[in-house]
Amino acid sequence: MRLLDQPSPNAAPSPGGLLRSYSQGAAYDEMFDRTGSPRDHYEVLCRRLQHISPEEFWRRKTMTDLSMRQDGVGFTVYRQEEGIERIWPMDPVPRIIPAAEWEGIEQGLVQRLTALNLFLNDIYHEQRILHDRVLDARPIYEAAFFRPEFMDAVVPRGIYVHVCGTDLIRDRDGRYVVLEDNARTPSGVSYMLHNRQVLKRVFPQLFEQYDVRATDDYPAALRDVLQHIAPAGAADPTVVLLTPGIFNSAYFEHSFLAQRMGIELVEGRDLLIDQNRVFMRTTRGLKRVDVIYRRIDDDFLDPLTFRPESSLGVPGLVNAYRSGNVALANSIGTGVADDKGVYPFVPAMIRYYLKQDPILPNVETFRAAEASQRSHILANLDHLVVKKVNESGGYGMLIGPASTAAQRAEFRGLIQANPRDYIAQPTIQLSTHPTFVDGRLEGRHVDCRPFILCGEKIVVVPGALTRVALPRGSLVVNSSQGGGSKDTWVLAN
Amino acid sequence: MLSRVADALFWTSRYLERAEHLARVLDVGFHLELDLHGVLAGGREQETAAVIGIAQIGITQFGSAPFAGRPEGAESEDTSLYDWLSFDLNNPGSIMTCIQHARTNARSVRGTIAPAVWRELNKLYWQIRDADFMARARESPHDFFGAVETGCHLFQGLCDTTMTHDEGWQFIQLGKFLERADLTLRLLDVKSRQLQQLTDPVDLPIANLQWAAVLKSCLAYEAYQRLYISRVEPECVIEFLLTHALFPRSVRFCLEEAAKVLTLLEGPTPVGDGKAERLLGRALSDLRFLDLDEILREGLHPFLTRAARMCAQASAAIQEQYALIA
Repeated sequence: MRLLDQPSPNAAPSPGGLLRSYSQGAAYDEMFDRTGSPRDHYEVLCRRLQHISPEEFWRRKTMTDLSMRQDGVGFTVYRQEEGIERIWPMDPVPRIIPAAEWEGIEQGLVQRLTALNLFLNDIYHEQRILHDRVLDARPIYEAAFFRPEFMDAVVPRGIYVHVCGTDLIRDRDGRYVVLEDNARTPSGVSYMLHNRQVLKRVFPQLFEQYDVRATDDYPAALRDVLQHIAPAGAADPTVVLLTPGIFNSAYFEHSFLAQRMGIELVEGRDLLIDQNRVFMRTTRGLKRVDVIYRRIDDDFLDPLTFRPESSLGVPGLVNAYRSGNVALANSIGTGVADDKGVYPFVPAMIRYYLKQDPILPNVETFRAAEASQRSHILANLDHLVVKKVNESGGYGMLIGPASTAAQRAEFRGLIQANPRDYIAQPTIQLSTHPTFVDGRLEGRHVDCRPFILCGEKIVVVPGALTRVALPRGSLVVNSSQGGGSKDTWVLAN
Repeated sequence: MLSRVADALFWTSRYLERAEHLARVLDVGFHLELDLHGVLAGGREQETAAVIGIAQIGITQFGSAPFAGRPEGAESEDTSLYDWLSFDLNNPGSIMTCIQHARTNARSVRGTIAPAVWRELNKLYWQIRDADFMARARESPHDFFGAVETGCHLFQGLCDTTMTHDEGWQFIQLGKFLERADLTLRLLDVKSRQLQQLTDPVDLPIANLQWAAVLKSCLAYEAYQRLYISRVEPECVIEFLLTHALFPRSVRFCLEEAAKVLTLLEGPTPVGDGKAERLLGRALSDLRFLDLDEILREGLHPFLTRAARMCAQASAAIQEQYALIA
């Protein structure tokens, strides 16, 4: 596969303005079909874009950046010692998902999260899936986020993953494929919500003639989930959001969600445990806490159980949770479900627990732990994307086609030394989407992260975070690696 | 409300009040210097010393960091002095440092304050950190000081109009009024000591300019003039800024407001030991029944120091009662 976009022989007859000489590469383009005509659901938008001058577009784009900065919508990057506050740039050209397409996505996501929750319940109790030899025990026990301390714990309502962010990409043919699940503390939903607000403010005319489904309901839906898992007896449960604090890269999201849900945003130092019950320190004394939407990783949650040096969490919280006096979302140990080493088995889980075929397929994945697959990986390093199983955020990756011989040699050594730490996948192009770069629209690669909530039932809010890789040809969409985002429209009809 | 949140709101408000006050003192001082330049040899140096006195005092009282001392060369170079007082993040009492602390505190509780309140404060922060803006501010300091004042007023105004006047708002009020009372007390203290030598009739025009500047530093010049038809008299200025019942920057007004808010905060069934109320009440009765002649005979400085101490103790008592210090 080619990595760089090559002008297609079928390039669109160059329209004026923003879309002049828009060229498609080998990847699936969201807006244009292979003949260069806009897809049906993009037609109106495309026409409208042709009537906006690049200067005018530039002006509005500047307004979105300014608005983001003034709202403090940003994340913190840690490069040197000091954290730098950055805004996460939003590209004003929205990504559009037609109703029929969304329906399939939604069903696939509900199916997948149902299976993941059944899997977690099983793996922390009877482990039928291991006894029935559907899955090797090894990748489970070796997953960094498997928590043996948590075997046989009873979690409220049997739900482990309450909030899941699943990353979807589209292959050459436009088929949606699951790249990974984020079942620990997925972030990004605030950008999904905030981007819509900004785009409506800055570019209201883009919405004309489109029936875009609202995403505003997300905080209320999340709150319902959190109330649903409150310990029995808490009539009017006190729900809080636990953040590591203002230096965390997702702090904006934490405060945003707490505000929109109308709950307290607490830090570890605001909480204390007394007789396995959780309290927060208020100006009127201690107040009981029933549910914690925690945005702190397992490792930092409780220094008595996990990392002893962590000061972000609350000593004794895990025992309070095990005693059933407080509910946590997500539960502890859910990382075993989104581990890259376990990912290849999710389709098998769906078949095993639900007796259904997966609606959304996985990306074909080779496991270096298997000798035959390892040799395939080592022989094809220049075609494959190699990932370290316990890394995220775009770190610890080799993108074969864009790599140097030295990088490939380095990964060859790494894989041979610790084969179980690595998986590899074919380089999937990721679909492209017109994106405003240097005064005109150019194709840039995008992914798509919808957010799935699991409480009384599983709900997917009709929207997603679309991340876009801004450097030409780049396939890495992470915010920490030069990515931006787009408003994502799910159409009502 | 979480104690940490209350604490952050209290300090956001305090830091902004301090930044706003310092901006105005510097702005007024800048113009005063230009006036004094023609009238008085050495007036500038004196004025500089006073400005530093005011800025410095704001720092030492709250113990946020030990006073770092003036940078090399600041004494002779006005620009570097203004830079140090305005922009220098190594100066724990500079305007920039205050705004930065205010923003950090506000950011830690941005879920509690209205989005518009946060946005204005954030805008102010990015505006004054902008390199172009800073370069322009050096040429025309008034723009910079004006932006800081306006930004701080916007914050307080938005809090009043967009927040429920419950606990969070009440802590913001306490921070604002306790800080303001303290700043007015300190300003009077520094200026009265600086100007006490100016008793010769020859010095009258200078004394006039100086006391008018004190009023302007408290946004009180026009209010004062409406009340006193005569020229600016030191005793009248002192009395006005200490005891006027309705002027919002007089020490009495600030403490009356703080006491009122404290009552609201306590609610119908107070649980604490009432230490803060007692201290504020005592400071207030000193001001309500003030006999200026007597105080001037016995020494203004001890009186002002005592009042400032009671404010500081009241502030500490509030923090203790609401567990603001973990």
